[in-house]
Amino acid sequence: MMLNPCSRTKEVADLLRRGQWPAVCEPELRSHASACRSCGDLVLVTETLLRARSESAGTVRIGSPSALWWRAQLRRRNAAVERIGRPIFGAQIFALVVNLFIVVAFLAYQARNGLAWLSWLEQLPQAYSLQFESLSQSSLLNPNWNLLVLIPALASLVLLGGMAIYLASEKQ
Amino acid sequence: MKEPLPMHRESVLPCVLAGDAPRAVDSPMDSDAFAGFYERSARPLWAYLARVSGDPALADDLMQESFIRFLCASQPDEGEVASRRYLFRIATNLLRDHWRRPRQASIEEIPEELFAASPSSSSADLLGPALAVMRPRERQLLWLAHAEGYTHREIAQITGLASASIRILLFRARRRIASLLREQSSVPQSQPRWRQP
Repeated sequence: MMLNPCSRTKEVADLLRRGQWPAVCEPELRSHASACRSCGDLVLVTETLLRARSESAGTVRIGSPSALWWRAQLRRRNAAVERIGRPIFGAQIFALVVNLFIVVAFLAYQARNGLAWLSWLEQLPQAYSLQFESLSQSSLLNPNWNLLVLIPALASLVLLGGMAIYLASEKQ
Repeated sequence: MKEPLPMHRESVLPCVLAGDAPRAVDSPMDSDAFAGFYERSARPLWAYLARVSGDPALADDLMQESFIRFLCASQPDEGEVASRRYLFRIATNLLRDHWRRPRQASIEEIPEELFAASPSSSSADLLGPALAVMRPRERQLLWLAHAEGYTHREIAQITGLASASIRILLFRARRRIASLLREQSSVPQSQPRWRQP
């Protein structure tokens, strides 16, 4: 397929682009365009599309530019706020990582030193059971003190954790 | 001709956060200049979007979004011609994104013809018989070249295609639509002259 079969296509295109076709056009070029397929295509398509353009542009009702202007400003403002918030989020992540590192380091240190404090913790429920023996005997319940301590502790932990997550995600 | 706009974001933030919009620093133009630019560019842009997409409602939406993105972009002011080319580029990208997006089956997107007794404004009516048969990419190239008068290089900037490809694609599209237009003018008015896209 030949892309430029006619040497006068550019000449015709220039006249069309300037809006001078066919008024400011030599009769010889006009007769050439009616005979040459490439130039004829160009004239036909350009005239059709220019007519369609003026029809469409004439019918459309455009809105207010100030509304678009303020919408754009609002979007820019939101983007700016988001840009400012990004370092804060980074700092939060950094603080979380540091805290996790401290916890892991502490646990590793304790594991290396034999978890001496765990033995104290293991004795704690027994101490409680001795201390509250009289109470448990008088109670209608038959409390398992390990569970009595563990369940509220876990419940509190879950509650506090949920609150912490809620407060952290509230901003978002 | 306005002076080139500074691009320092640090200086933009206080102004934007305080709501001082009338001369946002990295905006391509101020509100008055934008109003003039909008008056001159909105109709050609709408015509482009409507004729390429065949959907006036979509053209309305994309035109607004194009102008908003144009204002939000940190594009230095290089004159009206460059600004308009940039605007068409944004609109072209939005159209492409729209076509790439998977179709949603909401009630708003069901064509009006399904509800109306007589189809009065189909996309073929808007596009015209010949354009309706062409592919969207061909319509885009034809419109930019012949209705807007952009050169191959400018169309390449707008569409993101290579200049050499545009030359070939445009040549084929022009030849095809010219044949369709000639066929259409030779067929009697009562007969259906095009197929629905």
